Parts: sequence; structure tokens; C-alpha cells
Amino acid sequence: MNLYECAAIIRSKNAGPFTVTIDLFFPDQDSFELARGSSLLTVPGVAKAYGIDQSSVVGIYWDERILAGKVSVRRWSTCNDPWCPDLFGAHLHTPLAQGELTPQREGAS
Amino acid sequence: MTPPVRILGFVNHIAPVSDIANEISRALEWGVDAIVAQGTGSDWGPYWLGSGEQPGAAQAHNIEPYVEAALEHGIPFIFSFGIAGANTHLDQCLRDFDDLCERRGWSPRIAVVRSEVDADFLAGHIDAGAEVTAAYSDSGLETLERSTVEQAERIVALIGPEPVQAALRNDVDGVITGRALDIGLFMALPMMRGIPKAIAAHAGKMLECGGLALEPGDSGRAIWASLDDTGFEVRALTPKARASIRSLVSHTFYERSHPTLEPNPGGTLDLTEATYTETPLGVRCEGAQWRSAPYTVLLEGARRVGHRAICFLGVREPELLRQIRGWTDAGEDAVRTAPRFAEEAASGRLLISTRVYGLDGVLGSLEPNTHVTGHEAGVMVDVVAATPELAKEAAYYAFIRLFIGPYPDRKTTAGNAAAPLMPIVIPASSVYEFSIYHLLPLDDPLAIAEISVERFPRLAEEVIR
Repeated sequence: MNLYECAAIIRSKNAGPFTVTIDLFFPDQDSFELARGSSLLTVPGVAKAYGIDQSSVVGIYWDERILAGKVSVRRWSTCNDPWCPDLFGAHLHTPLAQGELTPQREGAS
Repeated sequence: MTPPVRILGFVNHIAPVSDIANEISRALEWGVDAIVAQGTGSDWGPYWLGSGEQPGAAQAHNIEPYVEAALEHGIPFIFSFGIAGANTHLDQCLRDFDDLCERRGWSPRIAVVRSEVDADFLAGHIDAGAEVTAAYSDSGLETLERSTVEQAERIVALIGPEPVQAALRNDVDGVITGRALDIGLFMALPMMRGIPKAIAAHAGKMLECGGLALEPGDSGRAIWASLDDTGFEVRALTPKARASIRSLVSHTFYERSHPTLEPNPGGTLDLTEATYTETPLGVRCEGAQWRSAPYTVLLEGARRVGHRAICFLGVREPELLRQIRGWTDAGEDAVRTAPRFAEEAASGRLLISTRVYGLDGVLGSLEPNTHVTGHEAGVMVDVVAATPELAKEAAYYAFIRLFIGPYPDRKTTAGNAAAPLMPIVIPASSVYEFSIYHLLPLDDPLAIAEISVERFPRLAEEVIR
């Protein structure tokens, strides 16, 4: 299963001009656990999904109370780039969303 | 025990829902000590700050039902105005507010708080040795220098709650500010009444986007909270929405890189230990903490980097779709090497890019797909140059090369692509960047705010045009 299928809501938005944050909301505990335990939603996994340096991954956060996750990434193209194609950062979830949710033990190689 | 402070919150750059009067009536039944709404932000990027224009959010129009309630019931209102929030933006909104007051027969006494930063003031600070560092290490911006200040079209400061409090002490009906920290608007009155700073800030965070923190979220709706010494309760004002633990906690995620830590002037709001409990009518929030730090305000400044002209082409020819990037690269190169443009391109006074929708229009260089997979693609030629004329000429030149230029195995020798627009080239706008996104240390939070008290509607000769 990929992240897009697993999450109920995947919303991408600027968090200030230089960072994009992708909020993930899951429909149930099992989906939440699958995502939290995945190799995709780790610093190396997120970096690989976007093709960016691990140092550009600002953080990955979880809140079990509301079955939510959050991935924040430094923008590779910001509003200071005249060619920035997504000024609100509303469509930058897509490379992450299509990533497969492989358990960390299996995906750790 | 501090008496509760009740806040009615909304967003003034979003048009209110059609039944907003019912929500306001409900809030008045529960009690309202201040009506607060934000109307500035940087999410629209540096264009508005640089150009002095506004997106057309009709802010003075959106506040009408709220101001009506405020004046009728003697409730102070606190609004930030103008999106980018420099003086020119604020003044445009204040002229609209003059018109609103005139039309409705209102004559409110308003404290206007300007937060545009005078370049000489800031340069003087830098000359005196103030270290004004980039707000984010990843912004690519260096520690602020005098030359950067001088090159900026406009500079604004996100004022905190303190100037709003100073404005409220003038026995006014309302406070209208330029660029301001959203939660600072909400913190101002509760803190004056003795509510702890952490609770005021946490409540501000929940209220700053109006009904967006509800379920379903809609910034055209309002939101209500009652703050006390130990926390606050948030409620929806309509049966069509509700405050839930999920909606409020998810709202703390919104447009923030960290879910529980938020740097602000004078400290960080820490929600690590925050608790949320359902009540009969909403959610009770407690446990916020404020980690004090030296006082800084965020400065935003915009510099013009050039002028944009664009043109569009549609491609449905299969052979051209197969080699579309080779074709657009050749078009760009033709511009860069043309005798009339070569010097400008080499010096960086002329930049050109082609965006191919259907290939990599959204992700750009991060797009993993290397070929068009659909049956057609859209091409946008995007030129940014030192003058509007140079941008238009280069965009037209690029269009012609793309339209008639040869490519391998071409069969379409009368014209390569479909042109949807005449004139072919659209002069788009000036292009700006945030050349300043820095933290200014301040001993006195009031130092960058200019407060004036005025009776609206103002006489014609008093109005800044």
C-alpha cells in the first residue's frame, strides 16, 4: 500500500517562505501504525522520495491523539526563485504520496 | 481569579459565509470582549510587498457585519489589514474603511498602528552594530547589510501584541494595524486583562484562521473562545460546524513546520504538554507553556529582480511530444545566443525558462518522469528580464523559434504548435524576492510601531492618497 491509499487527508502547504509541510491524517489506528512504522516516513525515506539531501528534511512528527503525521521539508524552489512552480506549496505532497509503506525492518537495508 | 476574556475571531481577507449574522448573534449571547481578525500574511509571496498592490481581498467589505456588532455593543475590535501590510496597503484598506463608515453613518475612533519599517531607521540600527540575522538558516539570506536595506522596495515588521496593547489604551473603538503577527492580535487584550501569555498565545493560534480550525474547516466562518487563568474553551458558532479535539490539534499543524513549537517575538510557544478535552459545546485547551527568549521581530522586505513576460503554446503532435524537452531547450538556447540577447543573457539581465505542463510543470527538476505520457502538453515560456521591453522581445523571439524552428523528424513544417492567445506575449508583472526575512532584536517592542488615533470617516484632506 502506498501513502496516498493509506491516508485519509494529505495536505501540503508552505510553512513560511522556505519550508513546505505535509500533514497526514489517517482513518484508523492500523493505518497510522503502518505509516509510522514505514521506511518511507523516515529522514532517509523522505529524502529519497523527493530526491533531496537528508539535511533538507526538517522533521517528521507524529500525534497519536489525532492519528496524524507531519513531514516538513526545506523547499528546493521557493518564492525567491523566479521559476518556482508552486508558490503556495499546495502540490508538493505528490512524490511522497506515491511512496510504498514498507515496514522499517524490511526496508532498512 | 482573572475574569474570563471572550474573543470572537475570524479572517478579514476571506469573505464571510452568507449566514454570518447568526454566528455573530450566537457569540454575543455567550459574551464577547474583543473581535479580532487577521488580514496580513506572507503566504502570497514577495510580489505584493514589492509591488504595493493587493490581491483584491475586499477586507474593509468583509468586516462590515463584525464592525456593526462591535459598535452596537461597545466591543473593541482589532484587525490587521493589507495582506503585505506596508503603509500603501494599509492606506488603501483605510480608504475603503472610510467609505464603509460613511455609507453606514458610523464614526468610530480608531488607533491605526503602522508597521512599515523606515529604511534609514533600520540602516541606522545596522550601522550601530545590531546583528540582524536571517530568520531561517535555509533561506539563503546573509546577515542583513545596509545595501540590502537600501535596495528593498518596502520593509515591514510583524509587530507583536505590545503595540496593539499600547493602541488599545487610547480609549478607542478599534485598532487597525498593518503587517502584524496573527496571534499577537489575539494575545493583546487577554494579556492586558491578566490572562497568562502562554494561554493567550495558544488561544490565538487556535483562533487566528477563524473557522478553519473547526470541523469542517471554513475560514469564512467565525470562531469563539473564552480564556481564563488555566486555559480556554473553543466553540463553533453554528450547528454546521463543531470544534473537536481532532480539528483543533490538526490546526496546530497548519502552515507550521513543527507541530508543537512556534517561535514568536520574546519567546517560543510550547504545546508539547498541551491537553485538549471535549466539553458540551466545544473543546477545553490547557497546558501551553511560554519559553522566554530575547525579543525579536520578523522583518520582511522585497526587492525587484526583474520584469516578466510569458507566452503559451499547446502541443499535440506525437513526434514533438516525444522530444519536447529537446525542442524547448533549443528554443531557450536560440534566445540566449541571438546576437541581440547574448550579452544580456550572459550577464544575467535576461533569464528564460520553459515550463512544460504534462511533463514537469509542477515539480520542475524533481519530476521523476522524463517523457510526456499523455496526448498533449502545455508549454509556458517564461522570461524575466531587466526591463519589460527586453522581457517581451525575448518571449516573442522564443515563441517564433518554437513555432517555426526545425526539430528531428519533423513533419509539421507550417507551424509546430497551437497558439491560444493573441497578442502572443503577455507582459505579466514585475518579479520580486524576499531579500529581507530577518529577525531584528528590539529592546522596546514599540520602537517599530507608529500609532495614531483618528476619527473615521476621515475628512478628505486628512486622507493619504
